[in-house]
Amino acid sequence: MTSHPKLEIRDLRKSFGAVHATQGVNLEVRPGELHALIGPNGAGKTTLLSQISGEILPDAGSIWLDGGDITRMPAHKRPGAGLARSFQISQLYPDFTAEDNVAMAVQAHSPGGFNLWKNARRLARLREPALQALDRVGLAGRADVRVSALAHGEKRQLELAMALSLDASVLLLDEPMAGMGAEESQRMTALLQTLKGRYAILLVEHDMDAVFALADRVTVLVYGKTIFTGTPDEVRRHPDVRAAYLGEED
Amino acid sequence: MTRQIPSSPVSDTYVPALASPPRITRSALVNAIGLLLFVLVPAIASATGESFLVNLMTRFLIYAIAAVSLDLILGYGAMVSFGHAAFFGLGGYVIGIVGFHVGQGDTLFGWSGSNAALVMWPLAVAVAALAGLAVGFLSLRTSGVQFIMITLAFGQMLYFILVGLMVYGGDDGLAIDARNTLPGLNLNDPATFYYVCLALMTLWIVVCRRIVNSPFGMALQSIKQNPRRSVGLGLAPLGYRLTAFVLSAAGTGLAGALWANYALFVSPDMSAWQKSGELMAMVILGGMGTIFGPVLGVAVYLGLEQVATGWTEHWMLILGPVLVLVVLFGKRGVYGWLAGGKQ
Repeated sequence: MTSHPKLEIRDLRKSFGAVHATQGVNLEVRPGELHALIGPNGAGKTTLLSQISGEILPDAGSIWLDGGDITRMPAHKRPGAGLARSFQISQLYPDFTAEDNVAMAVQAHSPGGFNLWKNARRLARLREPALQALDRVGLAGRADVRVSALAHGEKRQLELAMALSLDASVLLLDEPMAGMGAEESQRMTALLQTLKGRYAILLVEHDMDAVFALADRVTVLVYGKTIFTGTPDEVRRHPDVRAAYLGEED
Repeated sequence: MTRQIPSSPVSDTYVPALASPPRITRSALVNAIGLLLFVLVPAIASATGESFLVNLMTRFLIYAIAAVSLDLILGYGAMVSFGHAAFFGLGGYVIGIVGFHVGQGDTLFGWSGSNAALVMWPLAVAVAALAGLAVGFLSLRTSGVQFIMITLAFGQMLYFILVGLMVYGGDDGLAIDARNTLPGLNLNDPATFYYVCLALMTLWIVVCRRIVNSPFGMALQSIKQNPRRSVGLGLAPLGYRLTAFVLSAAGTGLAGALWANYALFVSPDMSAWQKSGELMAMVILGGMGTIFGPVLGVAVYLGLEQVATGWTEHWMLILGPVLVLVVLFGKRGVYGWLAGGKQ
């Protein structure tokens, strides 16, 4: 594949006082690629995602989306540019129903957000895409349930449904399997499998079975540095990676 | 248009909102009974000879407009404005100051209808909204305790400006010669003025209900529940919060203008921090984030004041514990308790 990357990170750096969370990270996600980012706890994976999504401004380096520099673009403009994020700890609206939550994601990128008069819960242009997204992640039957009453695994599914509803071309998924049981993880893996090829995905995940089943390429992040990028097989065989990360699991 | 999802096994039980017939819910019943009681007030007053009732209830309606306005930002946007009385005072002083000049034979921009309610009330609303835009624009850069303090500061600023306006009575306030005029209606008649206030309160409640259920209102509530997520979805919170703040200031300004007409008197106390606190207590008592709730909150507040001041001048000693109990045990206030859980 020779086309330019969907998402490219060049020599990104971020420190919090003496803590160097990101120390010159280089990374690219190609069109249609599922790129996994792995690393031990505290490696700076979530900090990296937060810089890509604009919540944290990097100290140095740059972030490129579709060949355009988005390093300094305000966070709320990035979804419109094609970048959607899901959160490691579900960031949902607890007083809304599942359908309301996804409808907010639909509304966020459609016109008429400042409509003060129409009943939002009866607008088919918001509600139908929301129901479709819920159906896609397997939550169709739970549309009317308040988020605070959803099970943990369902919240993770909802988190994904919201990211999918943003009409983005790049997905940043922060541990979609976090806290899930084995069966739920398998279902989520199957779900992510259906997204492959349609989006460029940067997946942060601790579940190695899922990573090796899904990823086209894997980047290993240790103490804020990318120590290796390669295919899942290459990563598995790489001695430094085994020492730094996978070794812990043996 | 279909809302059915074929692959879902439970979709049959999903009742589309569009097709659902209007049902009489408990909250709709509470609202209908409330409105009926309001309409009957002047009749009850003349039947029982308790003419003070109309005045008491007019005060109630005016406070209700202010409390509903505050609920728009407090309950739906988690913006704790501790200076909202500023807009109440501004609305009142617009009426008071123009009335003062009309009384001296001047007119507003040389126009002879300077005492017309249809001009003065929108003007009061516009002035309050404009002030809301400025205060909101500056205050909404902060959040939490800082937002409370900065809105309090703006409220106190206006209070001391009004105290300093010696031409308009300064500390002593300003008496108003006559109520504004509405074509075809005699606002000097207490019952007529009461019904005008009732119509405006009802209209404002309907408008606010539409606003909170609109796409804008949903966005505002989403930002209240989880601003991080809303930004992550692509919403810029400031625009939503500021719009809500301006709408709230406008409604509170209308209440101030009506108060000036009701009392035929305005004073800096209208925008003192105690008044802001009163409005907040009313909203919290009734139930934040319900629109109807604050109306009940005003009823409880004024009712308690009416009854308890008969026993002791320190009636706040009674209000305090009641407020604490409501906050601790009834998150949705009196309305939540009457109308049941969340709709």
